[in-house]
This record gives sequence, structure tokens and C-alpha cells, in this order.
Amino acid sequence: MPTGFFTDTTLCIGCKACEVACKQWNELPADGFAFSGASYDNTLALSGTTWRHVVFSEEARDGSVRWLMSSDVCKHCEHAGCLEACPTGAIIRNEFGNVFVQPDVCNGCGYCVVSCPFGVVDLIEDLAHVPEASTATLHDDRLERGESALQGRGGVAGKCTLCYDRQRSGMIPACAKACPTESIRFGDLDELRAQARRRVDALRERGIEARLYGADDVGDGIGRLGAFFLLTAEPERYGLPERPVLPSRRQREGYAAALLAAAAIAATGWLLFRGRRDGRGGA
Amino acid sequence: MSDSTKPKGLLKAPHWGANVAAYLFLGGMMGGLGLLAALARPDVPAQRRLRRATRRATFALAVVNPPLLISHLGRPERFLNMLRILKLRSPMSVGVWSLVAYGNLAALSVLSEAAGDALAPAQGALGAFISGYTGVLLSATAVPVWGAGKRHLPALFVCSGITTACALALLSSAADDDRVAHSLEWLETIAALGELALLHDYRRSAGRYGDPLFTGRCGRLLATSTVGAGLIAPLAMRALATVTPRRLRRPLRTLSSLLTLAGGATLRALVIEAGKRSVEDASAGMVQPT
Repeated sequence: MPTGFFTDTTLCIGCKACEVACKQWNELPADGFAFSGASYDNTLALSGTTWRHVVFSEEARDGSVRWLMSSDVCKHCEHAGCLEACPTGAIIRNEFGNVFVQPDVCNGCGYCVVSCPFGVVDLIEDLAHVPEASTATLHDDRLERGESALQGRGGVAGKCTLCYDRQRSGMIPACAKACPTESIRFGDLDELRAQARRRVDALRERGIEARLYGADDVGDGIGRLGAFFLLTAEPERYGLPERPVLPSRRQREGYAAALLAAAAIAATGWLLFRGRRDGRGGA
Repeated sequence: MSDSTKPKGLLKAPHWGANVAAYLFLGGMMGGLGLLAALARPDVPAQRRLRRATRRATFALAVVNPPLLISHLGRPERFLNMLRILKLRSPMSVGVWSLVAYGNLAALSVLSEAAGDALAPAQGALGAFISGYTGVLLSATAVPVWGAGKRHLPALFVCSGITTACALALLSSAADDDRVAHSLEWLETIAALGELALLHDYRRSAGRYGDPLFTGRCGRLLATSTVGAGLIAPLAMRALATVTPRRLRRPLRTLSSLLTLAGGATLRALVIEAGKRSVEDASAGMVQPT
């Protein structure tokens, strides 16, 4: 019974309480006080130390503007690109069915960063120089071992843990807890999906064009999403790819191409070095 | 955290720089040298010299390459985390274990010629794999320009591994024998033609995904340094060498080999650079190559 998030964007009011709650609970450094000029969005993207991001997408309609607001997060994919790419086994699927980076195992190679089709996970570069950065992301681990979970030196992959530590203590993730409109819901994924489908039906009855993103297979190998969304416009408007691709799928063809090239070269070389020319081996 | 690192588009940029590009080049050449060592026959004295020379060069590169890879990890001792598991689904994990095996084979083949001869087929096969897996590793990512090259990058890197290995061998005394030099030059020529065909087809089939590599600054550098100086110029020089006086052939060969090596290095550097450019566009990743 995997757990996950259902984010109902029709209920999001863009308050960013989820962003703040996430930063506070996980003791992540602030993003600075820059003004982006991009609507109300100064966060701009998920990053190694920003695990919730409220998207503000402006849409001009009949002389007025409507905002599409949505709290973006790691999708905790059923078949996750980051998890498949990770060479150390640092990225695992935990007992709650969530995709989790074990910070003490990660060696900062950066392969997960380019393997996420949603651009979620990133390397947290050296945190030692960031004074406001705490040395811990996992409270349980910190208590158990008396050491930091985030490595202070050398960089480590960072993304939403789905509040693994809170789940282990029977609590719901900080963002879902803080959301004042229940736009972010946490729970058993099967129950959330059923809930989401009822919500879509109810919205459609009221003439609102509602659709789910990631409740069913999103296609091209990724499967269903452990954090899925209810949208009222095309996924692109929310910064979500219409049809994300699991990158590790390309390996089969890649290895076949390499094998073909190697075989052609080996055969050519064999003819050149071992062939007829000195009259001994070969034809 | 500084705001300059904020991405504009959906996807995150690769954190890989010059040390990884250098590994892609030297590792590819190292793989090609292992394949050459396996192809050279032990019962012909001139080819046996080639066999020894390529094995020694393989070993030297097997010493140089791991530090290049380890240097981008921030804390070098964390390389050992790679050796916790073997994960067939991850090209990086498979690659690391191949490098470990290949390095040991290379050392063994330098220490004992008999052991090296017995293990030559393994060294050749593993060498070809090491040349090509980096292409698989790059194309199995969400970076659009790499993903669109899933059938081209692996084959391209295998071919480039062998052209650069031939070029290096042609610079050594193993190429003093005319027949060995002739075989190496022909192998390099055929692999270089393969590279040209692959680059052409990559550009054609990648469409807009290929723009970061084939247009703009990267495209100009690819056309001039990799294709022009690194592939076409050596081909032309080898053709020229057949009609020039004998005393000019050696310097011509040296020059063409150096150009081939430089071309192989720029190919890897440009592919990495194009990967970074590929995610810069705000719309990058919204539609992804399959």
C-alpha cells in the first residue's frame, strides 16, 4: 500500500505554506530574497534544497487574468529514472513505496540529476558554507546516529523525501499538514486515486474541464505517479511534460548499436590483421 | 544558495565538466587499444610489437582514467560507494565494474605476456564495451540532445575509440613496420568513415533535438574541429601519402594522427557542452525524445 500525494490544483490559493513548511521541517536553506518578476513566483523551480514549488501560470481570458496555481513536487514515479540510474544504490524505494535518497550512501556522481524526466532531483553542492543550512534532513537518523544526514562536504543528491521521518513517526508530510485548503492530500495511493476520480466527476458536472495527471500510466515506461495532480488545463501550462519518457528505456537500443559497431570494427580489423595478406591465417 | 543556478526550463543541467569529457575521450581510446591488442596476431613479430605497445598504453590509461572519474565526486573516497552493488539497469554501475575488470586485465597483460595472450579475447570484448557504454550512459538520460542520439552516440563512441587508438598506435614505434602501419591506417579510415556517416545520420534523425550540438557555436566547432580537422583532414592526408615521396610519409602520418586524437577529444567535449545547452531552453523537456 504505497503512500503518496494528490495535489488538487483547483483548491490551490498560491499561499506557499507548503514551501515554507517543507523548508522548516527539513531544515533546508532559503532561496534568497531575489525578485524574479515572473508572476508571484520567486521560487522558480524545484532544486536540491527546494522540494515544493508553487507554480503560477498566468492565462489571459476575456480581458482578465486567471492564475493556474499548483504546488509541484517530486513525482515519486512508479518506475523512477533517478532510481534506475543511481550506481551506488543510494536511491531506493522505501517501505512506504516512496523514492528516497539515502544521503549517507550517495556519492554525488550526478547521474540521477540528468536521469529525471521531470527535472526534480539536483545536487546540493557543498553546504558547509551556507550558514543557515542545517546539517540534517532526517531527524530520526540524526537522533539515532548523532551525526548529520546531509553531507557537509562534497555534494549530495537532494529531493523530496515525502517526509520519510514523519511517516515513520505516524505523521503526515509537512506540506500536506500545512496546506490550508487541502489542495495537497497525503495518503494511501489507491484511496487518493479513487478520491481524485470522484473529484473530477464532480468538477465536470459543474462544467469545469478537469483532468488527472499521473493517476494512470503517464506513458513511455514511467507508469503511475506517486504524486499526481488534478489539472484544469494542458499539463504544459503547469510545467509538466505531456508525455514524459523513462530515459533508461533507451539502453537496449544503445547497447545494440554499440555491439553492431564493435562487431563491424572487429571484423574489419580481423581481416586487416589476420587475413590473407601474409599468406598464413585466414582465407 | 545562489540564484544564478536556477534553471529556466524543466530539466536540470548535467554537473559534468572537463574531467568527465576527458574521461570519455581517454576511456574510449583505452577501450579501442584493448580491441587492437586483441586483433594483432601473436605469431607475426611486427604485430606482436603492436600487441605489446597497445597493452602498455592500455595499462597507462587504466591508471590515469579512474582519478579523472573520481575527481568529479567532490570527496574522492566516496568512489567506493560505487562498489557496494552491481546494477545492470544502470550504465554507470556496469561501466564502473567494467573499468575495474579492465584495469586488472590491463595490469595482468603487462606483467605476463602469456596471461595477456590467453585473456586477449576478453580484453578485446571488454575494450569495445568500454568504448561504447559511455554513449549508452549519455543517451539513457532526460537530456534531449543525448536521448535523441540513442542509436548514434554509442556507435559513434565505439568508432571514435578505435580511430583514436589507431592514431596513437601509429605514433608509436610499433608502426615502423609498413604492413602494421598499413593495417592501422585502413582500420582508422574505415572507422572514421563510420563516424562521418553516424554524425550525418544523428543530425538528420535528431531534428530539433540535435540543434544544441549541430547548430550555433557547438555546431561550428563540431564542423571545424571534429569533422574537418579530426576526420576529413586525416582521411585526405592518408590519400595524399600514397602519392607523396616516401620521406614525407612519416611526418604526414604523425600530423594526421595528432589531428585524429584532437578530433576525438573535441567530439567528447562538444557532446558534453551540447548536453548543457540542451536544457537551457525554457521549453526543453516539455516534449521528450522516445
